Amino acid sequence: MSVTAERLNPQTTDAPDLAVDGLTVRFGGLVAVDDVSLRARGGVITGLIGPNGAGKTTTFNSCTGLNTPTAGTVALGDRTLNGHSPAWRARLGLGRTFQRMELFDTMTVQENVEIGREALLAGKRRWTGRLFSTPSEADVCGREAEEAMDHCGISPLATKTVGDLSTGQRRLVELARALAGDYRFLLLDEPSSGLDVGETEQFAAILSGVMEREGIGILLVEHDMALVRAVCSYIYVLDFGRLIYEGTAADVLSAEIVKAAYLGSEAVEV
Amino acid sequence: MKEWLPFIVAGITNGSIYGLAAVGLVLTYKTSGIFNFAHGAQAALGAYLMFEFRERMGMSWPLAGFLSLLLAGVVAGLVLERAANVLATCSLAARVTATVGLLVFIQGSLIAIYGAASVPVRPFLPQKVFRFGGVNVRGEQIIVVALVLVAVVGLYLFFTKAKLGLAVQAVVDDPALLGLAGTSPVAVRRFAWLVGSCFAALSGMLLAPTLALDARLLTLLVFFAFGAAAVGAFSSLPLTYVGGIGLGLGASLATKIIGGMKITGPIQGLPANLPFIVLFIALLVTPTRKLVERGSQVVRRPLPPVTFGRRTTAVAAAGGLVIALIVPHVVNARLPIYITGLAYVILFASLGLLVRTSGQASLCHIAFAAVGASTAARAVGAGFPWPLAVLIGGLVAIPIGALLAIPAIRLSGIYLAIATFGFGLVIQRLFYSSMFMFGGTFAIRSPRPHLGGLHTDTDVGYYHVVLAVTVACLAVMVLIRRSRMGRLLRAFADSPTAVDANGTNTNELKVLVFSIAAFFSGIAGGLLGPITGQAAAASGIDVGGFDFSVSLLLLTVLFVAGRQPVFSAVVGSVLLVIIPSYATGETAVKWNPIVFGSLAIVAALFGGRSLIEWLASSRRLRERSATTSPQAERTARPDLVLEAAR
Repeated sequence: MSVTAERLNPQTTDAPDLAVDGLTVRFGGLVAVDDVSLRARGGVITGLIGPNGAGKTTTFNSCTGLNTPTAGTVALGDRTLNGHSPAWRARLGLGRTFQRMELFDTMTVQENVEIGREALLAGKRRWTGRLFSTPSEADVCGREAEEAMDHCGISPLATKTVGDLSTGQRRLVELARALAGDYRFLLLDEPSSGLDVGETEQFAAILSGVMEREGIGILLVEHDMALVRAVCSYIYVLDFGRLIYEGTAADVLSAEIVKAAYLGSEAVEV
Repeated sequence: MKEWLPFIVAGITNGSIYGLAAVGLVLTYKTSGIFNFAHGAQAALGAYLMFEFRERMGMSWPLAGFLSLLLAGVVAGLVLERAANVLATCSLAARVTATVGLLVFIQGSLIAIYGAASVPVRPFLPQKVFRFGGVNVRGEQIIVVALVLVAVVGLYLFFTKAKLGLAVQAVVDDPALLGLAGTSPVAVRRFAWLVGSCFAALSGMLLAPTLALDARLLTLLVFFAFGAAAVGAFSSLPLTYVGGIGLGLGASLATKIIGGMKITGPIQGLPANLPFIVLFIALLVTPTRKLVERGSQVVRRPLPPVTFGRRTTAVAAAGGLVIALIVPHVVNARLPIYITGLAYVILFASLGLLVRTSGQASLCHIAFAAVGASTAARAVGAGFPWPLAVLIGGLVAIPIGALLAIPAIRLSGIYLAIATFGFGLVIQRLFYSSMFMFGGTFAIRSPRPHLGGLHTDTDVGYYHVVLAVTVACLAVMVLIRRSRMGRLLRAFADSPTAVDANGTNTNELKVLVFSIAAFFSGIAGGLLGPITGQAAAASGIDVGGFDFSVSLLLLTVLFVAGRQPVFSAVVGSVLLVIIPSYATGETAVKWNPIVFGSLAIVAALFGGRSLIEWLASSRRLRERSATTSPQAERTARPDLVLEAAR
């Protein structure tokens, strides 16, 4: 089965949608995100593109609770996320990676990936469960980590210290950590930035594999158009904090307004 | 009204000096991202140098003042600028430890040379009295207020008008960009450190005639600057100056009010401690977004601590235990020192859990031990059995630790370090003398245990009791470190954001780790008292006492001792307690701060790693570069080259 057919006819899954509605984020006088609404469906990969400073990461941070929106709501499935802590949102099933790669640099690859599951388990348990794991939980963490590392092709690196790895390997460790968690929706922030062409292709294959296997939704912020075209079924375009276009990959990549936003032309009025 | 005027005049004068020191502190912090804990020590240095030149060498005061300013201000400023440059890419712990080490070093050196007793200083500015509307004002006071006002206004104008001034604002935010724009960030930083250091030295010289020369007091009084800096959110120079005046006035008026009320208890200490209270409260209420942490974006990736193999660990543990069991039979009269050493192993291990494992900063660790020591002593006095009393001491320290987690939840990095520093001072200066703690004499009876028919009240017997408790505490801490919580804490130290994003609330982790560290520190405190038979809040850097400066010493020594949970604790205790005891008593007390202060500075400057780790890792680095050379790969990335250039 080709990847293309798969993404145009997504399986009916019970994976929830991520819905952003009328999101506005102001930092003092600066409007970083201005009345943005988007819906990333479960079971497919949705793209969020735009030039630097367009408000993509700010939108992500609003989804995961790292900033407080001035207006608007964020919902995963039928649950509104506004006002909840980042940890609560993660426990509800919203996972993410970071553009600046938030890794546990002094720990090994295996430990990093295991914590993807362990932190989630610890957050869900009460009292001593927060502090100590049971043998069966340790088994789950180990198994999930092994599987996630395997899918991302980093099993051979398991005992390496993460701080010593190359950027490409680190990106994969962060993805594996998110996969080891029991997430129903993933936000990936520029996962291919700093990767070479070969690594990016490998990354696209891994992403498609993830979506097929897990059937979860992914919202992808990305600059690499080849990657976006290869994996995204629907794309939203941001510029200066506003949504300027949305459509399928083919539509978006040929739209004048999108080209203008990226090339900085002033010929097109918004 | 009339009786208030002298207090107002004195308050404004002192406040001006605090403002001057605070403005210098904020200036250096803003431009380099290094918060100089040694700022007050630098002020003391200025005052002592002037004393040396004027009184001992017989120079006239203008010449003596000029030379002191040159040395403690200009020369020290240039040296500090170089050091700050190296520290800019070091971890937070290294940045804090380096300047704390400098504080300990300068203060220790001054006490070693000039003695701990305070020396009166002849005033040098005119003492002629003028009368303004019913209040006497000395010429000295007018000059001080005017001088500071001119200095601060001049600096402010310079910032808002001059090109270099504007550049200062840009230098921390993006030094590389500033460099590209044609202004050398080095010149800007050098200027800032020069002015900042001169302000510090000048404030010390101006304070000395009213206060007398006292290295501890001078260092502490310029900590008033911390409170003023907090009023300006560690950023605004005018607000910082106003904060300084406000604190001087507030302290002066509070003295008058409370002096007139004839009450006793902690409130008596309020005026003198107003700045620390203001500091602590300001850090609690200032909106987090205003407390921008400077220069925290350019930190190098940390290397993991060196780990030892399972067999090495087992052999070392067994060997250590055997040595610990032999000790009582060979050291004779020195045994009490070894008991202190054991309690310090617990102190170091619990501080390590907080600072090394979870990456939090804490400059008040000895305050927890003080709570434990006094509580345990009072519990024994109230008739509780000895083991239970020590346990209660630890338990009572827990809420104090949890209280400290409140600023820890709001603040991170350097601001947390400053808050813990203020917290430790507030506890010591307001509560040590209270009836809950050591009482007015700063000492309470703390007997040794009588456990059944065992002779646990002899030196040898008590040694074995403490050894058992120490081993038990270490075992629990090792278990914690290996548990789920330990893994989450290590992860937290590397990236709090990622821990939160993966489902564990980091606020809970902070409360937990502060509580646990406080508990074990409290236990250690409970063990310390019975060594001499009384728990005493001795002032000064005395091992076994509970002065806040011991907290600073603990941190610096831990930094030198490394990052292993147990091994470093033992090394730290041997370095701080055991080895110095073999020097004759007086010398050890003198040299401890000097040696450890300078060692901590060296350790922080050379990569922020302990000397022991340095030896162990140089071999590992060679192996690493021989195989994959990730270091080379990293520097090949343009954005990291830019980072490195900062």
